[in-house]
Amino acid sequence: MLLRIRSAPDPDRDLLTRYDAVIVGSGAAGGMAAHVLTSHGLNVLLLEAGRKVDVEGELKSMEWPYDHPRRGAMPASYHALTAKEYAIRQPPYAAGVPHDKVFSYVQSWGGSDYSRNLVVDEKEHPYTGTRYAWVRSRCLGGKTNIWGRLALRLSDHDFKAASRDGYGEDWPIAYADVAPYYDRVDRYLGISGVPEGLAHLPDSVFQRPTRLNAAEVRLREAIAKMGRVLTPYRAGVTTDGLKHNKYRSRCYGRGACARRAGGCDIHAAFDSPTGLISPALDTGHLTIRTGATAFEVTLDPATGLARGVAFIDTETHKTYEAAGKAIVLAASTLESTRLMLLSRSQAHPAGIGNSSGHVGHNFCEHLMGPSVFGLVKDLAGRPRTLDDGRPGGFYLARFRNLETKHRDFIRGYGFEGSSGTGMFPSNAHSTPGLGSAFKKQVRDYAGAFIGMGGFGEVLPRYEHAVSIDPEVKDQWGVPVLRFDYRFGDNEKRMAADMAVTGREMFEAAGIEVLGADTDLLTEGWSIHELGTARMGRDPRTSVLNEFQQAHDVRNLFVVDGSSHVSASCQNPTWTIMALAWRSCDYLAGEMRKGAFP
Amino acid sequence: MSDASRVTRRGLLRLAGGALAASQVPGLRAAAAAPDLRFFTPDEYALADALAEIVIPADAHSGGARAAGAALYIDGRLAEAFTDEPRALWREGLRLIDALAAREHGEAFVRLTAPQQVRLLERLAAAESKPGTAEERFFAELKRRTIDAYYTSRIGIHDELEYKGNVLLDEFAGIDVSQKR
Repeated sequence: MLLRIRSAPDPDRDLLTRYDAVIVGSGAAGGMAAHVLTSHGLNVLLLEAGRKVDVEGELKSMEWPYDHPRRGAMPASYHALTAKEYAIRQPPYAAGVPHDKVFSYVQSWGGSDYSRNLVVDEKEHPYTGTRYAWVRSRCLGGKTNIWGRLALRLSDHDFKAASRDGYGEDWPIAYADVAPYYDRVDRYLGISGVPEGLAHLPDSVFQRPTRLNAAEVRLREAIAKMGRVLTPYRAGVTTDGLKHNKYRSRCYGRGACARRAGGCDIHAAFDSPTGLISPALDTGHLTIRTGATAFEVTLDPATGLARGVAFIDTETHKTYEAAGKAIVLAASTLESTRLMLLSRSQAHPAGIGNSSGHVGHNFCEHLMGPSVFGLVKDLAGRPRTLDDGRPGGFYLARFRNLETKHRDFIRGYGFEGSSGTGMFPSNAHSTPGLGSAFKKQVRDYAGAFIGMGGFGEVLPRYEHAVSIDPEVKDQWGVPVLRFDYRFGDNEKRMAADMAVTGREMFEAAGIEVLGADTDLLTEGWSIHELGTARMGRDPRTSVLNEFQQAHDVRNLFVVDGSSHVSASCQNPTWTIMALAWRSCDYLAGEMRKGAFP
Repeated sequence: MSDASRVTRRGLLRLAGGALAASQVPGLRAAAAAPDLRFFTPDEYALADALAEIVIPADAHSGGARAAGAALYIDGRLAEAFTDEPRALWREGLRLIDALAAREHGEAFVRLTAPQQVRLLERLAAAESKPGTAEERFFAELKRRTIDAYYTSRIGIHDELEYKGNVLLDEFAGIDVSQKR
């Protein structure tokens, strides 16, 4: 009998093609690039350093703690870095830690066993220099698999901030340029919220909003009298469903995304694999190669254009090169920057696209730490309500330095917060005593607390930078990043104001303030690193033009947060995707015109 | 833990206490019902179980730490702990509690009357905001782990806290502010 043995598909066959575009990274930016470029009919290769994780198998969103052997915690041989470790030690943080695996602080949140395969082991991915809590995810979809879901727009208060207060640079675009793309992102991916009509926090095309509970409404109404706005969490979650996307369900308010490090196993919360990449695969124009750690953007010396991307197979450590007419970097702000700095050549001795010397510089993000926590006394002892069946609590919009100028600092901050009963009574550990009286106090007060924490704009400064460490390499032999970055005086004065206004708003609402933290958390805590390959009109002071196209290399695009000129105080994911969409529309148009032979 | 050692331990317990005594002493009864110990000795388990039940007792509202299996859960976490530190803390802490009971009442803690047991722990709890003695520090550890075990248990979540979430909602709960502008 003759057996026909089908030969295994050659994993390297995909590299015989010269693609229209090679994308590095598969998170919000890379997924959006894949979606937009394939929708234009371009033949696209997507490189992802990590593997494709079975997210549904990992997240188990509705598993009860008592059905998990460690009630959702990681194995004891795995360690999540603590706030104290970040505060007293220097990177590389995993050095000298005896545990089998070491994770960033997000893995200390409840239910971290469900996300441990979605974030990197710090032992495998060291970095050096100043303190920085760098949270990374190396898998298909990257951090979108567990992101915080707050989906906010920037406005001209942000894009033209330099013109308003004289600090830094304006973006080379205005809100009017981006607004149509924000609309597209809203409609394609779904977003929940309440329109508030604020110039500095523009409304999206919202689906069904989530709701507030009694304490949150009380705070909303009290601060409305101060001219401030608290609105239900603007979540990058489809609450009404998306007829055009068969991979995603609408939100059913199960609440696991807010209870754990994040993630949604029915994909109501946006994630890149189901929101962008699977639909892009369905076009037939997308090829994905996972386990591909990019280490260099190669150059064609004859044309001066980027030729392709050199990468290491994560498993075999063999090196390859993928060729493309256009190269799109979307590996996350700091990884794209690392890749540019590593791509040295005769024509680009300081890294590809870095004739300005600005790659790695102007590093900015959001500061975190100041927070306020209080009690709404008359809610104690009320019948239990369902408070956490939603993708987030509330967002309190920026109010500083809009029409007036604060004497101590420039720019602004917002707060994220929530109230109500969760699955675990967070007041239990601080409730004194024991016995039935203790039980009753925990039970009666579990739903009566409210808390919120600030997210503030960190100013970009040229001297705040990442660079390539001259000695330390990761296990693939790729030199690692070295940080030279710390908060400055404007950030410290802003943080002090956050604690004051947080308290003032709670008191205005009749909320008894139980605690107000004024300390800054370690740099990086917000997971919103930005700015290290900024856009601008002047090639001497910026890396990219308004279409995230390298001034120096016209077929190189960098479509992630590294392109942002300033951090604003709004969470960046929605802006990353709106800009990537706009730039990839432009890229496709240029390619059609023959700009990238 | 092998089956053989489990059987042996049960056997030892029977020999030590006798069937009649075991059924009369609450701590020993609980120990006999917990064959899957991974760190505690049966005596330690009986004490930990008694202590946890005093921190979070059964009452008219819901079951307590004993019914929620808090001590057994703590046993598992201690058995798996990456360093010996928490194991040493518990072994020594339980010994100190028994020593304290013996000093004051001449008996092991589980053999004290219920009011004596509660009073002893209440005294340690009184110092919980700034524990000074080793016993007071152990109380903080006992309470912390009992809280974590109890409020993640079926009884703690559903009966005690009457948690309403982790269900499929057609409509979000709460107050709709989108119509109230």
